[in-house]
Amino acid sequence: MNTPRTKLSLAGLTKSYGSNLPPAVDNLDMEVEDGHLVALLGPSGCGKTTTLRMVAGLLDPTSGRIMVEGQNITNTPVHKRQMGMVFQSYALFPHMNVQENVAFGLQMRKRPKQEQQERVMKALEMVQLDHLAKRSTKALSGGQQQRIALARALVVEPTVLLLDEPLSNLDAKLRETMRTEIRQIQQRTRATTLFVTHDQDEALDMADRIALMNGGLIEQFGSPHEIYERPRTRFVANFIGRANLFEAAIGSESSTGPDGLARYEISVGDHGSFHAVGEPGMAGSVRNVLVRPHRLRVGSAGTGAEGLRGRIESNSYTGDSVSYHVRVGSELFTAERLTDGDTLLSVGDHATISWRAEDALVLPEELQ
Amino acid sequence: MQQPAHAPFRPRMSVSRMFFLLTVLLAYLFLAAPLIIIFLMSFNANQYLSWPPESFTLDWYRALPQQTQFIDGLQTTLITASASTFFVLICGVPAALALNRYEFRGKELLSTFFISPLLVPTIVLAVGLVLVLGPLGLTNTYASIVIGHFAITFPYVIRTTLMSLLTSDTSCEEAAQVLGADRFTVFRRVTLPIIAPGVIAGGVIAFIVSFDEAVISLFVAESGRPTLPVHVLRYVEQSADAAVAALSVILILFSLVIVVIVERLMGLRNVLR
Amino acid sequence: MTAVKSDDAPRLAPSQPAGPGTHEKRTARRGKLAAGGLLTPALLGLLLGFVLPVLWMIRMAFNEGAGSGVVIETFTLQTILDPLTDSYYWGIIWNTFSMGFTSALLCIIVSYPLALFLTRTVSRWKGILIAIALAPLLSSDVVRTYGWMVILSPDGILNSALLSIGIISTPLQLANSMPGVIIGLVQIFMPYAILAMISGFGRLNTQLEEAASSLGANRMTTFLRITFPLSLPGIFTAFLLIFVLSISTFVTPRLLGGGRVQVLATAIYDQTTELLNWPFAAALAVILLMLFGTVVAFYQALTKKLEGE
Repeated sequence: MNTPRTKLSLAGLTKSYGSNLPPAVDNLDMEVEDGHLVALLGPSGCGKTTTLRMVAGLLDPTSGRIMVEGQNITNTPVHKRQMGMVFQSYALFPHMNVQENVAFGLQMRKRPKQEQQERVMKALEMVQLDHLAKRSTKALSGGQQQRIALARALVVEPTVLLLDEPLSNLDAKLRETMRTEIRQIQQRTRATTLFVTHDQDEALDMADRIALMNGGLIEQFGSPHEIYERPRTRFVANFIGRANLFEAAIGSESSTGPDGLARYEISVGDHGSFHAVGEPGMAGSVRNVLVRPHRLRVGSAGTGAEGLRGRIESNSYTGDSVSYHVRVGSELFTAERLTDGDTLLSVGDHATISWRAEDALVLPEELQ
Repeated sequence: MQQPAHAPFRPRMSVSRMFFLLTVLLAYLFLAAPLIIIFLMSFNANQYLSWPPESFTLDWYRALPQQTQFIDGLQTTLITASASTFFVLICGVPAALALNRYEFRGKELLSTFFISPLLVPTIVLAVGLVLVLGPLGLTNTYASIVIGHFAITFPYVIRTTLMSLLTSDTSCEEAAQVLGADRFTVFRRVTLPIIAPGVIAGGVIAFIVSFDEAVISLFVAESGRPTLPVHVLRYVEQSADAAVAALSVILILFSLVIVVIVERLMGLRNVLR
Repeated sequence: MTAVKSDDAPRLAPSQPAGPGTHEKRTARRGKLAAGGLLTPALLGLLLGFVLPVLWMIRMAFNEGAGSGVVIETFTLQTILDPLTDSYYWGIIWNTFSMGFTSALLCIIVSYPLALFLTRTVSRWKGILIAIALAPLLSSDVVRTYGWMVILSPDGILNSALLSIGIISTPLQLANSMPGVIIGLVQIFMPYAILAMISGFGRLNTQLEEAASSLGANRMTTFLRITFPLSLPGIFTAFLLIFVLSISTFVTPRLLGGGRVQVLATAIYDQTTELLNWPFAAALAVILLMLFGTVVAFYQALTKKLEGE
């Protein structure tokens, strides 16, 4: 195995549309490893598409630089960047058939006819549409158009593959299939890929790394596992998965475990106390604490010493699972468990909620 | 699903509805009247058309090739209309592209300006053209007709091309750029083919407007070799006899072809608006 | 073209910013330059074929004409004021105005049922029916006027038919008269009226009419209370459009008027070709332009008001 190599790096990348507007992309730094698929994830307006378009060269950054394999390409015009891009609308050329669409990039590179033909057919085989080579693109289904667009982008062996919400125009079922297929093709071709999406499932499922963006900034950059298990900010914790988030005064810090996380004791007034983990050095501050609903246990009052005492405010039972809303002081906790045949708690019952210390995370983000 | 027993889907055609449809039919008839009459006249043996029509003849059509002034006029018209169309496309398509794909100040104003030749009476423009082109020694040349027709056909080309540009997907052009095409290649290989219907419709309309136009041609190029519409105008001023009927039928059929082309490409309604 | 390898700086050296926004600004400037380049031929063409002629013509109206092509270079309002103080030219201006008004009115009346029909029909031939109604627009107005001359002339088809039926005993004087010109104009501008009305009938929909009838209104009431008021914006637009088109037309008054109908357009022609009095012709053109401009301004104010509702 080679040592990981940086393929694409963005440094201080900024795009602003006017001095009185907040920048669409604000001083963004990011490094993408060779062969990785990185998802730019975030709500609409977070700057993810702007970032992608700047990497493609379709937008000029206000400042900052874009490097590919150590080359500064910030001032390189679009058509000389050797990238591949799949657009949300697929952007297939309506006046060309499938084969001509895929061959376009090779024609621009002035490859010999023979080579063009071979590579087009190989690309079409890769997306399993070689039988449609002579078809008009208008006659194709959404999924097929999507694959042609992918083949067209990949046939030129781009330095970086850019995907702009490629699945958003497909129906739910097809989206799942295409998700797997794009991921497989990406892994087979080892194309370094930047993937814009607003769908967290897509990002978690497909990406090697997720850059979670908000307000033109990267809130957190990490593997899907890190993003889900170790969110650094309230925004990340809320955006990915479901979350119980509450502010608490962080108590004493005990030994740091092998994972580098410290254990904290936290008490919540006269409602009880619990343990949580987090980066060392946060004792004595007020921070957000995250507990995922399905890692939260609900028991009838008086079971076990540790935990928070509260009252069931509502429940919903769907057979396989049951979820409770538990009121503890001013906070409302959501708990979700698979059913185990035990009796259910009813609305108004006293209850204790608890969790394993490692299932509660103190977020490093400082509160204002 | 239950259908109410006494609610017929469509009421029986009432008297007022029949009256309405009759009015519509009459309106269509009125609209077509001069064209139908010319058609009848071109096959009528008598020099004047009276009712009931007399015997059938093809003489007027046979006589056409001998009408040298019409043949000359047709030649002038074909040359000037083709040249006008060429220049108006060469100038109009890039202008529409600039309006649609670039940002600059005064864009709104410029769009209005581009359409404004349609807002000035042709005869006013014609007088002005003579005043400007006369001192330049351009009156009574093909160039004078082309310059005049450029102004009045330009709005159509701008309109149809803009319409195509507005509905086209700009990401196709971006895709081509990312795939390695420079600006000019993008235009030639992607933009132009995509907006072709609008460009062709605009060109066809420009051609027929220039082909039919009589007033500017009359003013700027009356002597010398006038266009066909000017010859027809001159002839008809003297006498409304059957000699020009056959020619008119051919001109009408020609514009009918244009109608079909434009209707197919963009819908006549959108282009003439 | 920017060189690809212009910057061989070491990887990720944030201490060397690319110069804030220089490339961005350069691209923006290049975009403006490109737009300028794309617009230049069109602007030159319109300058020569449209702007200069109109300005020159207006300037000419402030010169004095001595007839036979002699132009006295000066700057006077007299040339424009002359026709405005001459009852003969007031007659011509009035003719122009009344011709425009009458043909617009009649054109609306004739086109309205057709436009209503084309708006409401659910026939699958709708597109073709609309195209047929608009098609005459693409045939030459000289040819269509000629058709009307054939129909309306004293020995033309209308008179001979009416005479042979016995409705009239002497031929109607339709050719070479204002009524004849107006008949021709009505037909020639019908497609424009239909087009304007179809576009203006946007708010009309059959559901409103059905709602009215379901509330007990009979056909006449439905038409008067619902359909007609809702179609008024389209009617106004069409009326003013036809009005401005009529007052500036030359071919039809010239041919169907046979020299006996004088409007501004024909008077301008006579001044230029027969009397060679260019300043006077230009003055008449300016008057026509002012009449035209007043109506267009009125029209635009009205559309704005109607759209603003």
